[in-house]
Amino acid sequence: MTKLSGPIRAANDNLADDLARWEAETRGPFLSSHPERRDPFVTQALGWPIKPLYTPADLEAVGFDYRTDLGFPGEYPYTRSTKPNGHRSQFWTMTQVTGFGKGQAWAKRARYMLDQGLSGLILEYDLATTNGYDSDDPMVEGEVGRAGMALDSLEDLEAAFDLPFDRLKYLMSVCNAPQPVNLAMIIAALEKKGVDPRDFVLHIVNGILIEYTCVGRYIYPPEHGLRIAADCIEYIIRNHPNWAPLSIIAAQLQPAKANPVQEIAFSLAIACAYIDATLARGLTIDEVAPYMNHFVVNVDMDFFEGICKLRAFRKCWARLMKERYGATSADALKIRLMTSPTTIALTLQQPLNNIARLGIMATACALGGALKAIERGYFQSALGREQYERNRDLEEGRRKWVGVNHLTLPEEKREIEIFRLDDAMEEEQVAKVRALRARRDQPAVDAALDKVREAARNGGNLVPVCLDAVRLYATHGELCAAMRDVFGTHAPDAQLAGV
Amino acid sequence: MDTPVERPLRILLAKLGMDTHTVGVTIIAHALREAGMEVIFTGLKQTPEMVAAAAVQEDVDVVGISTLSAGHMRNLPKLARLLREAGAGDKLLLAGGVIPQEDKALLTEAGVHKIFTMGADTREIVAYLRGWWTERQAADAA
Repeated sequence: MTKLSGPIRAANDNLADDLARWEAETRGPFLSSHPERRDPFVTQALGWPIKPLYTPADLEAVGFDYRTDLGFPGEYPYTRSTKPNGHRSQFWTMTQVTGFGKGQAWAKRARYMLDQGLSGLILEYDLATTNGYDSDDPMVEGEVGRAGMALDSLEDLEAAFDLPFDRLKYLMSVCNAPQPVNLAMIIAALEKKGVDPRDFVLHIVNGILIEYTCVGRYIYPPEHGLRIAADCIEYIIRNHPNWAPLSIIAAQLQPAKANPVQEIAFSLAIACAYIDATLARGLTIDEVAPYMNHFVVNVDMDFFEGICKLRAFRKCWARLMKERYGATSADALKIRLMTSPTTIALTLQQPLNNIARLGIMATACALGGALKAIERGYFQSALGREQYERNRDLEEGRRKWVGVNHLTLPEEKREIEIFRLDDAMEEEQVAKVRALRARRDQPAVDAALDKVREAARNGGNLVPVCLDAVRLYATHGELCAAMRDVFGTHAPDAQLAGV
Repeated sequence: MDTPVERPLRILLAKLGMDTHTVGVTIIAHALREAGMEVIFTGLKQTPEMVAAAAVQEDVDVVGISTLSAGHMRNLPKLARLLREAGAGDKLLLAGGVIPQEDKALLTEAGVHKIFTMGADTREIVAYLRGWWTERQAADAA
């Protein structure tokens, strides 16, 4: 009987020579009768050419060294994982975003989510709150409680925190521009609930720099935005060392059409700005970096590029900390990734396709990442010309998107129940904040607001003075306005270059 | 009467309220400019009062609102009313963005003339505006 194992031809010492022979003798003749379907084959996100075959010769050509360029999981530069045993010892953590209506509505939804087995939640506020207005401000009519929970005063958080804190161990709060006000309000609400801050993790996103870059929910000019972010970071490191004072939301860059290289580069540059501002407060890099290493990253339908992006993030962070900042502790060198499938890839048209899309993206998250959050409902802002070109590619069929420009079923009916907020909610919220203002100790509130203006002017940390004011039921909008008196506002024109 | 000079259509694009999603309005602005229209953008964080005033001041033919943060059922009818009150009810009022099918009838009744939602082709929007502009100019000339 013929033996089937072993090489059919004698091996050449040089693999590259063998490859050239394969191309000439085997692939070449085949191609003459079977031309390629596409010219050229390129990666989806970066448009890098894809070869028909990769062999160890490719690694040799770039001088690849396994130990230094890749390394082992759980060891520097952490490319494959920051954990030594992947997901075999423990699964990733799963969290979900929620926020709508009044505080009571959030508490009810949060209790439901805890009952479903979640131990952490992400709280989103409405656009009035994230832009620094109270619910009764004429600027925000019609938007109260819509894109998130309405938050005017400590009263609202007292209602929202009607929760079993023995089961809620982690809360992420997304309120970037008014961060010191929001941080102070949560601290005061936790005090009222008797929650031991050492037994609970508050994670504030504090992501003002990404708001300026591509989201748009900013209030003050960027220099003041960074200063108040650093106030919050310093306050947390010094007073609540088990909490998390920052996330770098790279996930906002991706839907703004940044490619993966820009996404990593821009978000690391943003991290450096926060780090430099915090080091200036007299802390060392080994103290600071473990608080600056949380990145939220989107993964799109470009499966392999998504996985590679997450690996590159880990390696770039480790090298940046070691080589630029001289960090030495392992906690400083390890990035923490929270990943999510991008909602930009999902469609309203033929929505069942979204299940497969989410499956593909979530798999890439699991293969590349460590932590995972589902359904970040964010959008982004202008990278003008590029956004237009991407849209033209779709309209003119150069890019295919099932249900949008490919395999469309115009007759398909969808029957999806749309979430509706009760219209009376806004009136109730407006009445509530007005009633509060009428009954509180106004002279004390005015004095506390003056203290906030004073700290804003003289550079004192804003968190303690905001904390004193929110305990007196100064409102979110009043505190944001007090800082606006000193800092001024960021001119929206900067946002519009792309339009 | 002088022969009317043919001029490009002038459109004011606007975002109402705190909605800062600008990808859609950016794409529309580029497409309309490329089609030879005069596009003016209000910028972000506008109230219906500010947009109605800008529409009158800029003497535009069309007002286009991009909305993605669910405030449309309140701020679009209000804008339509303010435009009528300012004697600018003849301007074409368009809306686009995330607007559920179920809301369209009420918005139309409130004075929004045409609604383009997700997946609308910019070529379709340009064709619609060109058609409307030809008719409007013919009506004005008559």
